[in-house]
Amino acid sequence: MLELNQVCLLPGASAFDHVFPPGKITVVLGANQSGKTNLCRLIAGLTSSADGNVVLGGIPLTGRPPAGRPVALVYQAFVNYPNLTVAQNIASPLVAAGMNRSDINTQVQLLAQRLRIDDLLDQFPGQLSGGQQQRLAIARALAKNAEVLLLDEPLVNLDFKLREALEWELRDLLTGSNLTVIYTSSDPKDAFNLADQVLVLEAGNKLQSGPPMTVYSHPDSLSVMHLLSDPAVNVLIRDGHVLAVRPEHLSLQPGGRRFNLQVTAVETSGDESFVHGRLQTSSTAQSDGADWVVRLRGMTGLAAGQSVAVYAQPQDMQEFPVGAH
Amino acid sequence: MNRGHFSTWVLVGFCLYLLLPLYWLFSMAIRDNADIVGGFELIPAHPTLANFAEIFSNPVWYQAFGNSLTYVVINTFVSLLVAIPAAYTFSRFRFLGDRQLFFWLLTNRMAPPAVFLLPFFQLYSAIGLFDTPLAVALAHCLFTVPLSVWILEGFFSAVPRALDEMARLDGHSFGYFFLRIFLPINRGAIGVTLFFCFMFSWVELLLARTLSGSDAKPVVVVMTRTVSASGIDWGVLAAAGVLTVLPGIVVVWFVRKHLVKGFALGRVT
Repeated sequence: MLELNQVCLLPGASAFDHVFPPGKITVVLGANQSGKTNLCRLIAGLTSSADGNVVLGGIPLTGRPPAGRPVALVYQAFVNYPNLTVAQNIASPLVAAGMNRSDINTQVQLLAQRLRIDDLLDQFPGQLSGGQQQRLAIARALAKNAEVLLLDEPLVNLDFKLREALEWELRDLLTGSNLTVIYTSSDPKDAFNLADQVLVLEAGNKLQSGPPMTVYSHPDSLSVMHLLSDPAVNVLIRDGHVLAVRPEHLSLQPGGRRFNLQVTAVETSGDESFVHGRLQTSSTAQSDGADWVVRLRGMTGLAAGQSVAVYAQPQDMQEFPVGAH
Repeated sequence: MNRGHFSTWVLVGFCLYLLLPLYWLFSMAIRDNADIVGGFELIPAHPTLANFAEIFSNPVWYQAFGNSLTYVVINTFVSLLVAIPAAYTFSRFRFLGDRQLFFWLLTNRMAPPAVFLLPFFQLYSAIGLFDTPLAVALAHCLFTVPLSVWILEGFFSAVPRALDEMARLDGHSFGYFFLRIFLPINRGAIGVTLFFCFMFSWVELLLARTLSGSDAKPVVVVMTRTVSASGIDWGVLAAAGVLTVLPGIVVVWFVRKHLVKGFALGRVT
């Protein structure tokens, strides 16, 4: 069990405690500069501006050098030893651990097969594609046979199709292993695809944690709701409260609460459409002219300039006090 | 296409212009003195290797080559030995006065070597280092070490720090990382630096002449003093010249791929 005690991720952020459940994937969700990388570096024992105690299985890791921690890390940039072959790269932690030659070879074969790079063993990292380079980095991280695997936005530099494919592979690879996985991301999709648990960070502060669906349906604050939503949450400020509705929870079917939108733009990808609109004046609303987005299945017949009524079910609307995000 | 044709000829002309003195040196080296002063010959009519034989049999000549190579090798070795750790430190750590120190290294390059002649001469005479290859090598280090640190720092800084961290996370010691990963990655940079140290030390005349007496006389000095009773021995001098150019060509051949990059990274950033 990996515990954080009084960890302060960024200068000026408030310290927090957190427990990463063992053998589970925790997705740390946060925008840029939210302290995700600092969190990884703190756990790995690398220099960073983060401060606090990291305890693994009851033993404090503070003060231990990176080599002495059962922690492996995959960087956002593809970091491999450029002068070593793929096989030598994977073998690197095993060589450092002093394993004998034949065991290393078996282990390298096994890991290369799991990451599907077994036909590239004699090549150099510079000859590989981005996806293959990151597979190699993951294979090397797994070779360390650590208890904790840190993945710091590992797929963010890949194109999106490759990203999705690798993400599913990673999920299969990591679930069922005894690894405590910490996967940082700014994409809420990763949380739903991969996570057993999510930890939501903002500017170095812990906002909320829990199973992804729980955090999704019961966000503590508007910020959490924003971070778990792509595109952004629709907001209406009213009577000292913030009323928030996710784009996917608005529908053209009558039922529930009605909002009037003046359509400004329609984006469609064929299987789904985003209708951008400006919220129309109503007697009680104070935030007239707020920009809203509606996410609809399939194509729509809507066009810019039209007025349209959209509806939200009461259980899909969240209310927060103003200023508490 | 016309344009391409024209630029090809410009290039060919330029190469001929550059190669002409070298060719003339070589053609003189394979002729005897009477032939050389006799008349104009584009292609030597009676080529001979006697001049080279003279150099390899006369101790004044081959010892001079030995002396030169000795201090050049010592200089290159010491420069790299000192500059590699220094450049790594400048590229990886921030410490009090690091920028000032880095700049100060370069200020040594701003003074002409002649400025240092007198202190070196007096100092080496006082401690008995005068007229040894080591004396010349150490004096040259004053110029090659800062240059080496400057060149290597540029290359080293281009290697992501994440690689250092990766090695630590993998469990490697610093020594293993530095010798097995970091230096092999930078072997091109080290080759380029080696080239600059070698070349500086090999062609430098002033310090080499002043700091060596009769025992450690380098080849460039012998070349300036080759006047025998029968006048100047043109052929032998030219042969010595050819042999002096050779090491440079060999070194350039080995580092040619990295040389352009080396010049670019030696820039002021």
